[in-house]
Amino acid sequence: MRFAALLSGVLVAVVLVGGCSSAPTPTPAPTATPLTKLTVGLGYIPSVQFAQFYRAQQQGYYRAAGLDVTFQNEIDPNLITLVGQGAVDVGVADGTSVIPAVGQGVPIKYAATIYAQFPDIVIAAANGPIKTAADLKGRSLGIPGEYGSSWIMLQALLASANLTASDLDIRDYPDFGQAVALQQGQVDSATGFRNNEPLQLAQQGFATTQLTIDQITPLPGPGLIVGTATLASKRDALTAFVTATLRAMDEIAANPQLGLDDTIAQVPDLGSNKDSQLAVLQATIPMWSSPYTQLHGSGAIDQDAWTKSLDFMRGLAGSNIPASLTADQLVTEELLP
Amino acid sequence: MSDNRHAWRSTLLSVGFAALLFVVAWKLIVVIANYPPFILPAPEVVAQRFVSAWADGTIAPHALATIQEIVIGFVVGAGLAVVVGYLLARSALAERLLSPYLVAAQATPILALAPLLVLWLGTGLAPKVVICALIVFFPVAVSTMVGIRSVDRRLLELGRSMRASRWQVFRFLELPAAMPQILGGMRVGATLAVIGAIVGEWAGADKGLGVLINLARGSLFDFPLMYATLLTIALIAIVLYLLVLLAERVLVGSWR
Repeated sequence: MRFAALLSGVLVAVVLVGGCSSAPTPTPAPTATPLTKLTVGLGYIPSVQFAQFYRAQQQGYYRAAGLDVTFQNEIDPNLITLVGQGAVDVGVADGTSVIPAVGQGVPIKYAATIYAQFPDIVIAAANGPIKTAADLKGRSLGIPGEYGSSWIMLQALLASANLTASDLDIRDYPDFGQAVALQQGQVDSATGFRNNEPLQLAQQGFATTQLTIDQITPLPGPGLIVGTATLASKRDALTAFVTATLRAMDEIAANPQLGLDDTIAQVPDLGSNKDSQLAVLQATIPMWSSPYTQLHGSGAIDQDAWTKSLDFMRGLAGSNIPASLTADQLVTEELLP
Repeated sequence: MSDNRHAWRSTLLSVGFAALLFVVAWKLIVVIANYPPFILPAPEVVAQRFVSAWADGTIAPHALATIQEIVIGFVVGAGLAVVVGYLLARSALAERLLSPYLVAAQATPILALAPLLVLWLGTGLAPKVVICALIVFFPVAVSTMVGIRSVDRRLLELGRSMRASRWQVFRFLELPAAMPQILGGMRVGATLAVIGAIVGEWAGADKGLGVLINLARGSLFDFPLMYATLLTIALIAIVLYLLVLLAERVLVGSWR
């Protein structure tokens, strides 16, 4: 009995901790021209929204820069910890996730802006009464849950009209069915992404009004994140990666068809509905640029905007962001061309 | 009486020592591997967060929501399972009709079913109760069926020879004889119900320990809170298991 209890304790400890061990750092294979291996974490589902990465891979920009890039699809929270741990070298993550993560000691930095405009929005029927944030008062709003970038955006949007979530009838759609609920009249409004729900609804003849936070709070959109240890050990490779990715991004912005072709070459399954994929890409491209990136180049990081975002998120109810955290602890511009 | 006390003390010492060993091993691994808190926080960090999160009311409302789901789901699932298990044991027709569905329900991953249940039943209490009930149902139904079938035939014949009614045979012969197996199934079911509640919350909820795990991990990046929540879930499962064990002791009359 005693032995069994002892043994069970040890086994549970070993099993629990065994799952936490770090993934081994890839070792470059001996080749004629040694390439630096980089593991790149993208969003959970392969998508045309990652066209710049697919193009740089398909057109050999990474290889020409001395990189052997492999993609890995992960959800945002996993990716942030994997990048912090060094198991993934570079990833795409929400800027609004970077702030609390760094605040809680995850050693990562935001190294290049991908979405220069915050993609999360609130949508409502174009022929309905909701035209501004103030119109949301007393109305129902569908959300996937009280978390993530859309929840932060919503609080910023409501605060701009002196409202809080308690002024609305918030309804959860954890299966991300809030846009369908809007279309079916179950809710008056819903959260979504500029390059997704409005397009899908428009394709079905349902026009929407979009409420954004562009003029309210400059929240940071998704961008490239790197671990601080990786930043020190693979600085040149990461710089080359960012340069190649931004080059592909600029090319796609000039000619979206290039991005679609390389996306389908990289992920053939996405070729089953080319028109829809092209529409998503065309809606995504404008979000890659802002007045700031137009002035300072693709991928540029607006540190003032990050400071404002940090202040805003620190002031939210239940925030665990330390008062000592500053924007320069969150971002680095050293990898930008 | 003295032997009982000695056995209790011995059991408590063993369990306490095993727990201590677990914590020491955990701490050693954190120190030796030099893991930062976002990979594996040290036990004292988790303990500190566990205490503070209970003290400041972070965990309590979520824990209450999850316990409510577990208890209702367990009662519904286990109650139905005992009835169906009896039918399966005593009716060949019921076994032929129901068995394929029971096996199919058990083989279908609950992770795949959960979002569908949320879609059909909404994001309230109902889908979590159904998920808990589903996950509890199979082990309890099977153990009930096995328990009822294993009742000594000579006992049943004795009951009939004494003109006992069907209810009396069930109440005084079958149920007591099958009770150890039924409660064994319930012990498994009680721990599975905890998993069911968390899975249900992951599929859609605004409150519950599953929600708190997601918030701690994906929104707050408060890793000690995530581990403190996992610890709470483990404690709930242990308490439920012990409650069934206690029921077993009261109803069957001895520790198994």
